[in-house]
Amino acid sequence: MSATRELMFDHGQPSYSEVNNDVINALTTTTWRYWVTLVISAGTALLFFVAPWIYQIIVGVGAAGMNRNAMWGTYLSNFIFWIGLSHSGTLLSAVLHITQSDWRKSIYRSAEAMTLFSLMTAAMFVMVHVGRVWFVHWTFPFPNPMELWPNFRSPLMFDVMAILTYLTASSVFIYMGSLPDFAAVRDRSTGLRRRIYAVMCFGWRGTAHEWHTLGWAYTFFAVLVIPLAVSVHSIVSWDFAMSTVPGLHHTIFAPYFVCGAIYSGTAGIVTVMWMLRKFMGFGRYIGQLHIDNLSKLLLVLSLIWTYINICENFSGWYSGTSFEYEAILYRVWEGPFWWLYWEMILFCAVVPLVLFSRRIRTNWNVMLVISILINIGMLTERFVIVASSLPRKFLPDVFGTYFPSLVEISITVGSFAIFTTLFLLFVKIFPAVSIYEVKETLNPLRKREAHT
Amino acid sequence: MTLLASFAHEDAALDAARALREKGVAGVDLYSPIPLHGAEEALGLGKSLVRVFTLLGGILGAIGGFTLCVWTATRFILPTAGRPVITLPPYLLITYESTILLGTLMTLLGFFVVARLPAWRDRTYRASSNVDRFVISVAGPGAAEAEDILRAAGAESIERESAS
Amino acid sequence: MSTIRDKLREYRTAGYYTEFEYHWTMAVDLDRCTGCEACVVACQAENNLPIVGEKLMRQGREMKWLRIERYWDGEYPNARLNFIPMLCQHCDEAPCEIACPVFATYHNQDGLNAQVYNRCIGTRTCAVYCPYEVRFFNWFTYTWDEPLEQQLNPDVTVREKGVMEKCTFCVQRINRAKDLARDEDRRVADGEAQPACAQACPTDAIVFGDRNDPESAVSRKLEDPRAYSVLEELNTHPSVVYLKNARKPLAGGADDDHHGDESDSRASREGARPTWERGHDPRSGPALREGETPSLQTQQADTVA
Repeated sequence: MSATRELMFDHGQPSYSEVNNDVINALTTTTWRYWVTLVISAGTALLFFVAPWIYQIIVGVGAAGMNRNAMWGTYLSNFIFWIGLSHSGTLLSAVLHITQSDWRKSIYRSAEAMTLFSLMTAAMFVMVHVGRVWFVHWTFPFPNPMELWPNFRSPLMFDVMAILTYLTASSVFIYMGSLPDFAAVRDRSTGLRRRIYAVMCFGWRGTAHEWHTLGWAYTFFAVLVIPLAVSVHSIVSWDFAMSTVPGLHHTIFAPYFVCGAIYSGTAGIVTVMWMLRKFMGFGRYIGQLHIDNLSKLLLVLSLIWTYINICENFSGWYSGTSFEYEAILYRVWEGPFWWLYWEMILFCAVVPLVLFSRRIRTNWNVMLVISILINIGMLTERFVIVASSLPRKFLPDVFGTYFPSLVEISITVGSFAIFTTLFLLFVKIFPAVSIYEVKETLNPLRKREAHT
Repeated sequence: MTLLASFAHEDAALDAARALREKGVAGVDLYSPIPLHGAEEALGLGKSLVRVFTLLGGILGAIGGFTLCVWTATRFILPTAGRPVITLPPYLLITYESTILLGTLMTLLGFFVVARLPAWRDRTYRASSNVDRFVISVAGPGAAEAEDILRAAGAESIERESAS
Repeated sequence: MSTIRDKLREYRTAGYYTEFEYHWTMAVDLDRCTGCEACVVACQAENNLPIVGEKLMRQGREMKWLRIERYWDGEYPNARLNFIPMLCQHCDEAPCEIACPVFATYHNQDGLNAQVYNRCIGTRTCAVYCPYEVRFFNWFTYTWDEPLEQQLNPDVTVREKGVMEKCTFCVQRINRAKDLARDEDRRVADGEAQPACAQACPTDAIVFGDRNDPESAVSRKLEDPRAYSVLEELNTHPSVVYLKNARKPLAGGADDDHHGDESDSRASREGARPTWERGHDPRSGPALREGETPSLQTQQADTVA
């Protein structure tokens, strides 16, 4: 344990009060660069996401490039990408909490924020996707004058319930984990901010009783979140797998999607950690140990992902049914998106093999590039799955093609801006590194020598 | 009157809390910047009641989720795809999700009830205890005899605060 | 207690599924189909389908509840063209119906796969799940130019953007026939309810009727050894049944198995007991010799009289 403690901080351990100072200063001192970035990203979100969406609402979903064959397009593949990206933060944080891995403590807050915001972005894509967004509330089970309830047999209803639960659980998880830190911010600030944080921390004082209760509750949240996160992406995969479409109708889809989700989520965490180190000055708290561990995780996940991909193609080839075989062939070679397929194999299966080298694993800049490549690969993976299966189902007379329209591409770009905007707001509201849990990983303030 | 003793070391604070408990002093509380591992035992805190809330929430969610599916499906029968009206596999999925949803919400409720939060009024509190100090407060009649014990345990400073 | 058990047993069966009031079925005789597309035009006129124009047509966004699919046999010059009119199959176990989160599509008491336009929110999942690709989405709100809106059918809704739609078996005609029959306290006679496509077909290739009535023209068609349904292996149990195009094989031998497999498919069908044979014994009706089809007109005259 103490060996880990030494490894966790590259530049020596900070003291307790230094932790408070570093984290809260990063929260309260805002440079003009921050505002410029915020304005740019919010503007991009408005221009590239909101504006085309309003246009699409006015004219109809025909503004997107979807057609009779490909009724689903980039909106749905992006939805799956963002849900996938949300799959590492809370899940990883909960698993590492249960297994008492100390290295989790300085990165988990931002990782969970990533979960929350990518989940929100994914929910936006559901809205963008549906034809009549003004009736989307009909998918919620609420008593209504029509006396009509949603169809709980539909895989889309599983989605609604799963995402609702996941959004609730991960918001609760991140908020409860930050309660003591809100109190710390309250103690250090004055005026309006002090009053806001006093309300936000619910009057937290850090008594033994409160810590005790929080510890119990937090462990329960973690225990509840783990099976939830696994179920969410399984359920999302069943949107596909429950159809009869060749190329989507695979039993392996649930583990495939869950693995891919954690994979892209972990890569996302690496990207976000790099940003935090670079722009928020958290290099002292996020160091070699974290990047090394995350990279090892990435390596393992990439190997599992590759294996499942081979399985999927093998079962398509081995099935002998012409529909399935041809769907695979269309995806990897004959279709218009074969190059995207191989790009995804290159980025997600081949490139991560370099992580066997420890020197690459601990190099932040190289890891940034690799993590971004992985997420580009995962984005195209979802697109390839949708765009290469749906245009060719069973009847050759109606075979078609699908290519995203400008509106779709613009909304895809805008979704990244939405995520960035939300994250920028987050780092100025939440302490982006958990103050009290980083303190827990420091050498304890003891008079006597530790016996453990 | 409330006595507030501040400690720089967690083991000293825990020793003091333990000593106070042995003397049978009531109204002792320990404020710390991090959750202290010995604190449960030093202050005599047992298993938290939160677990009861979680269990209740889980059971409620499971029953509620399944009932919601069955009740809404049988209220107005809309046959789909040759499936039975009560279709077990999909309804169990909804049940699974609602179990976790209600479990989480009830745990949240349990936390607030058990920790007696939110408490936005002014209460005895030293901001330093959220940075790097461990503060023991003794409220009520035990305060007088507690002072010696706290000083003996190595308190940095001892303050008094009249009851608010 | 026993009532609870009864209820439970009832709810473990599939809604109205065992007891359709009528079981509307369509039989399409591919031997008779000439690919003239009169049915397509009739459908377009009857159901207020928009003419989307050349641009949208190229984007693959045409609205054709009924289309004639063309498949070539053999290689030029020794080639032959086959037609299959493809429309919503009104599957008894429809993949689209499980997909809808808001019950916008469900199975009604007549065995029809109903689509509720007002309820649809446009997730388009039903269209993705449909293996026949016969569901059409309103990508835009379509309009009709000045005099053309005069010919819109007042019995059929004009759909707005964001709504899924598909062949209804001309449910407005079925309902009118049912209303008429109810007034006279009888069941709908065979041939009384005809969708526009069946009515327009010059060669009587499309026969429509109630499968629950063993005497109906469509029930007899179902007993034809040439009967099959498209994509049978997906177990969707369609209500549209096709009668195989039983022509001489091409000289090139491209479809040599055309004749050889008939006895096989007949045997396997009886083993599997497909849906259209549920409820009555398929062999109870008079066996038809190949090529012999009861004409719709005589059949109609029999039942009405």
